[in-house]
Amino acid sequence: MRTALILLLATAAPAFANRVYVTNEKGNDVTVIDGGTLEVLGHYPVGTRPRGIAISPDGKELYVCASDDDLVRVFDPETMQETHTLPSGPDPELFVLHPSGNPLYIANEDDNLVTVVDTQTHQMLAEIPVGVEPEGMAVSPDGKTVINTSETTNMAHFIDSASYQITANVLVDQRPRFAEFTSDGTRLFVSAEIGGTVSVIDPATQEIVKKIGFQIPGVLPEAIQPVGVRATRDGSRVFVALGPANRVAMIDGATLEVVDYILVGQRVWQMAFTPDEKYLFTTNGNSNDVTVIDVASARAVKSIPVGQQPWGVVVAPD
Amino acid sequence: MRLFLLIAALAAPVPGLAATPTPDWPCVQPRQPHLSLGQVWAGPPPDADTPRLAADPAIAALADRAVQRRLPVEEAEAAIADFAAGASDAQLTALMQAVFDRIDSHRTRLLDGIARYGRKQVDLAAQVESRRQRMAELEKAPWPDFDAIDREEAALDMETRVFTDRQQSLTYVCETPVILEQRLFALGRAIAGHLGTQ
Repeated sequence: MRTALILLLATAAPAFANRVYVTNEKGNDVTVIDGGTLEVLGHYPVGTRPRGIAISPDGKELYVCASDDDLVRVFDPETMQETHTLPSGPDPELFVLHPSGNPLYIANEDDNLVTVVDTQTHQMLAEIPVGVEPEGMAVSPDGKTVINTSETTNMAHFIDSASYQITANVLVDQRPRFAEFTSDGTRLFVSAEIGGTVSVIDPATQEIVKKIGFQIPGVLPEAIQPVGVRATRDGSRVFVALGPANRVAMIDGATLEVVDYILVGQRVWQMAFTPDEKYLFTTNGNSNDVTVIDVASARAVKSIPVGQQPWGVVVAPD
Repeated sequence: MRLFLLIAALAAPVPGLAATPTPDWPCVQPRQPHLSLGQVWAGPPPDADTPRLAADPAIAALADRAVQRRLPVEEAEAAIADFAAGASDAQLTALMQAVFDRIDSHRTRLLDGIARYGRKQVDLAAQVESRRQRMAELEKAPWPDFDAIDREEAALDMETRVFTDRQQSLTYVCETPVILEQRLFALGRAIAGHLGTQ
């Protein structure tokens, strides 16, 4: 562990200077971490109850869901000064950017809508009615399909990004929290927090090709609550944050079998890779820290204390 | 209006993986009756010999001390480091098991206490409601007994204040299990840090 840390600091610093931004739901701020030194650069107020966070593909705009302000706040990632706000509809929780950087698709947990907002004109483009308690959001790599998961309806909704119409609904397990496409668009992963599974969906046919379950020796099944999912660009590894199990499962992308369970921090929810996919950062809401996972060795190499109740994380692009 | 507030306070909606507060469980955090060792420990799994080792007086005494919330975590870590200097992985695993058993049973008692707290709040809310009805009846009387109304009103104010204070404390009460879990996790990390050194 210690050796791994020293190696990490000695070998990785120059190529790894992308900043890491973490929303602290209870601290009402964002912690900025230097991706090179893994040191905290500062904490910046960002409004009330920040949860979802995203950064534009050019790295110039940082978007934060200020859930209790009913707004998306936009910051300059360099200075952490607020530049403007975007309309979000009530209680925005999680959002996703179109691969081009525009528009932004926002899940409104309280009123069963997905709100579409133009990041250039700052105008609301559409409100799409979906299931009850929408949360997870994803956009297919070709930008044509938007996925929303609704926590109470237990569905992944396929939305046509041109017409804003729902084209398909896939029933998954209880309380779907998060959706993630592989970069080639051939697979969609949807986690179910209470169901305790990840559904692997073929987006072309909208069929569930596999349900991945999790068993961790010495952990009661009810503590295993999958939330965040991240797949490497080549699709060879998929990581699933397992909430109060305090573990991240690593899945072989070819066999869809769990290879390892990595102990991170308490109540792990969201994750983000560095652009080179050397590291994966996890937010641990109850231990108030971020764990740095070395992707190649599948080991937790560092815990970085952040603010109160870290929720979302994003890493600046190259 | 007051009653509405009471009900609203008891049933406030909450985000995330929220439980609906019930008379038996007043918190929005879902009730997880027991923790499991694997949530805080990725070291060797306990085996048949672990309970015997965990009962060893030195290990038991260290576990008793380390779980005390008044002992700063840094001091607990130092005590663990002292012990670990001469301990095998099996002994460290036994120490982890001993720490886990203590914190989990403490936590279970705490959950029971929170449930009692919640039930008392429900009883108090019912009491406030019946007092309000009594007051309404007194006020409706053709010749209201103003002294009785004043007495009821004073009692109602007092009970409402107690209810509100307790309701505000509930947030903290409900977070105490997390404080125990945080300590358990920190101790687990400290013990695991010494694995494989003997």
